[in-house]
Amino acid sequence: MRTLVPAIAVAAALFSGCADEPVGLTLDDLAAASDWPNTPSAPAALRRLTQDQYDHVLHDLFGPDLVVPTLAEPDLAIGGLTAVGASAGSFSPRGAESVEDAAFSMAAQIVANPALRSVLPACDAAEASCLRDTLAQIGRRLYRAPLTGEQLDRVVDVATQAGTVLGADGGLEFGLATLLQSPHFLYRSELGPDGTSGDRELSGVELASRLSFLLWDTAPDEALLDAAEAGELDTREGLFDWAVRMLDDARARRGIRSYFADHLGLESLDGLKKDPLVFERYSTQLADDAREETLSLLEWMVLDADADFRDVMTTRETFLSPYLASLYGVPSPSTEGFAQVQLPAELGRAGLLGQAAFLASNAHAVSSSATLRGKFVRTNLLCQAIPAPPVDVDTSIPEPSGTAPTLRDRVAEHLEEPSCAGCHRLMDPIGLGLENFDGIGVWRERDNGVVIDPSGSLDGTTFDTPLALGKAVREHGNFPSCTVRTLARYATGRIEPDDADAALDLLTSRFTETHGHRARALILELVMSPVFRRVGAPE
Amino acid sequence: MSPRRPFSPSRRHILQGLLGGAAVSVGLPSLAAFAPSTARAQESSFPLRFGMFFWGNGVLPDRWVPTETGADWTVTPQLEPLAAFKDQFTLVSGHEIKIPNRIAHFTGPAGLLSGMPGSGDDESASFNGPSLDQVIAQAIGGDTPFRSLEIGAQPDCRGMSFNGSDSRNPPVSDPLALYERLFGATFREPGQGGVVDPRLGLRRSALDAVMADISALQARVGVEDKVRLDQHFTSVRELELRIARLQEDPPDYAACSRPEAPVMPSDTATRPDMEARSKLNAEMLAMAMACDLTRVGSFWYSDPLNNTLYPDATAGHHQLTHDEPGDQPQVHEIVLSAMRSFADLLTALSNVPEGDGTLLDHMALLGTTDVSYGRTHQIDEFPMILAGRAGGKLKVGEHVRSATPENAGRIPLTLMRTMGLAAASYGQDEAFTEDGLSEVEA
Repeated sequence: MRTLVPAIAVAAALFSGCADEPVGLTLDDLAAASDWPNTPSAPAALRRLTQDQYDHVLHDLFGPDLVVPTLAEPDLAIGGLTAVGASAGSFSPRGAESVEDAAFSMAAQIVANPALRSVLPACDAAEASCLRDTLAQIGRRLYRAPLTGEQLDRVVDVATQAGTVLGADGGLEFGLATLLQSPHFLYRSELGPDGTSGDRELSGVELASRLSFLLWDTAPDEALLDAAEAGELDTREGLFDWAVRMLDDARARRGIRSYFADHLGLESLDGLKKDPLVFERYSTQLADDAREETLSLLEWMVLDADADFRDVMTTRETFLSPYLASLYGVPSPSTEGFAQVQLPAELGRAGLLGQAAFLASNAHAVSSSATLRGKFVRTNLLCQAIPAPPVDVDTSIPEPSGTAPTLRDRVAEHLEEPSCAGCHRLMDPIGLGLENFDGIGVWRERDNGVVIDPSGSLDGTTFDTPLALGKAVREHGNFPSCTVRTLARYATGRIEPDDADAALDLLTSRFTETHGHRARALILELVMSPVFRRVGAPE
Repeated sequence: MSPRRPFSPSRRHILQGLLGGAAVSVGLPSLAAFAPSTARAQESSFPLRFGMFFWGNGVLPDRWVPTETGADWTVTPQLEPLAAFKDQFTLVSGHEIKIPNRIAHFTGPAGLLSGMPGSGDDESASFNGPSLDQVIAQAIGGDTPFRSLEIGAQPDCRGMSFNGSDSRNPPVSDPLALYERLFGATFREPGQGGVVDPRLGLRRSALDAVMADISALQARVGVEDKVRLDQHFTSVRELELRIARLQEDPPDYAACSRPEAPVMPSDTATRPDMEARSKLNAEMLAMAMACDLTRVGSFWYSDPLNNTLYPDATAGHHQLTHDEPGDQPQVHEIVLSAMRSFADLLTALSNVPEGDGTLLDHMALLGTTDVSYGRTHQIDEFPMILAGRAGGKLKVGEHVRSATPENAGRIPLTLMRTMGLAAASYGQDEAFTEDGLSEVEA
């Protein structure tokens, strides 16, 4: 579970206080319903809750005292996104076993702990009507929709049977544990109404679920579910009002963080391995602090500064802990926790490509990696596919030597050998532009005693420093469209069926030309678009 | 350049081919064809077991393959840790994975263990059908509490046991978690009765309700989701059967007793003590089989592509396979480490007396990896070791070499038949074979 460092909460409150007045986008500022092309939607699919979503849903419903176990069913990433992998994964035998363990562990906590139990209706569980009402009420929140009579009967039958044997609390425990194992809880079924063919609009409660997981990374709360059931999301005005209200809610901070953690593959920081003999300033704090820096900056840019999103590649604003400040060689802005700071211009470090999260996770345990860093820029930031390396070639990089002291010298062969060059010329020159940062992100002038040459070019734009490389990515024509595509994939759990997607093109032009690359406006455009509201027939 | 595509066409195609567009029944549809040919006919009263020992990043073929063939072969430098077991395994060489080598570190295991190409790349790579251990578990695993066990040594390893596309069986690699799962509160030694607890029956009722929910949801979804829900249903039903077993008397095997809780090595997350962790888990797998908790166990010493930092190594394992110059002494040492751990597993299995022999005599165990030579990702000359006599069905002690590059799929086919499956063939397209490896069959 990712916890917010207290100092961040303070900083965030500070910035929301002094940021510009609310942006005040209205529905008229967005593309009209009639502007949208009739682009086919990807087939609807069940989406397994990610481990984070499972965690968020249960904590949001029952409060922070509930101990939510980790399931033995790892998230699956497809196309670099766990949000897309969630549309493919199932439960293995061990996964189902861990779901059952977790269900009974949590059900027992809820029944035994008055703080948790206070979430349930205040009635006598020994009464049949109380048991049924309780399970219907909690079930509606867990399933994100009212239970059908048949669904509720099944759960109540188990609970009643258990109550007879174990007493009223035992009945309640088994009822809750059944809800917590149900596929209606474990998968999001945003399938559209039954009995229709072709592309269809999501129902109100399905749209509420999709909206809530996009913006808050959790299930709809009581108010949103009520609104959806009352039909408030069925009109453009109603949907827009809810989306704005939800973006202004504190839970949107978690939603934005979850999105960028997936987009930037920050889960790879969880298993970060660095050799402390090579990297003297490595600390086990690195992974958590680096993740916090990157997510704090993105959260601030989108929700507080409402900045041109492309500035994430060049901004000198960031958020540092004392450890990261020492790693970057700047005075610590705080004695404990994180605080916002503007990096000095002469530092040579700015934007995402100057952050430890990117630099350390796209590197080896004992060295940097021009290839991994270049690959990340191509695939995650520019949505360009890099073919897998040919499998039958010797991919070794020579050891540093007198004639080839720097990584640039050592990978020169990759860039000449025909079987390597096709792909490595796409990746290595980008990563070589970042060789001033070692494998954990510490600045260095020299590699094996020789001054590093960070110059190169990115699809025609030359750069001679890491800062200039960041600017080249910022100005790259693919950067806005990749931002749009990745967000749409995350929101829908699907990759667009066709590369040429007129609806995504419209979203991109709205993002770029109408909204000055403001991510908040992009999110609202997406939510109001058929890309978000429609699904194809399940197939 | 185009953006990445959602699912590779092949994955989709295979799914559709698998199901033929027809309604899907509960269970693993692709496995229905493999019914046991006989009711587990055995030479002894001990059940046949199947195991796998897998390590990542291959070997150094020039120090792996022996010169001589037949029974009289000299142990090579990389096989030195297995020398004490030379008369209990057969080394197979000269075979290759026939699937085109398109995904480095993945085509090898996908081709050998599923007979089909994998799909996706890197983190998202998936088999397109069940892995060998699951095909065999479907046939012989049903009578035990765990239809199969997946156990790791590398911390957080992912293993390559697949139920089907995008459904992996995650191994338990933490020794304390493994102990709790196998020998914790629910474990009973021979002679102890079944667990009498009304909660067991009630848990089964809850699982029945869950299965009814899954079935109801299936009516609303497409073919791909039906397959996912089928897998989920199967997993829940297996859990229900396990609870039912707890209510019965445990089987009476003399060698079965609750082992001591493991004592964790004092290693670090950065440099795990792979051999110590592996040995603890190997001993628990052997005892789980001695107690008939399972008959199918896959042991994932390390994953393909793993970049584990070994003690004294100057880089992670995978990086070393590519970048270590010369004759790669560090890579050699890491292969030896894996083979010492393989020997630890064979020791644990042969320390369990069963009748006139040992557990290993009633077992077939495939030792293999993801590539032959890690530096170039080759999948010819594929490393394979067949340990155990499988109740007298397999020959041991020989080096069996094919003079021409023969289909490695013959080995899984032989293993399926050894385990009593009526398998007519193995593998798709280039990997298809109807012939097992008769040289290893006794």
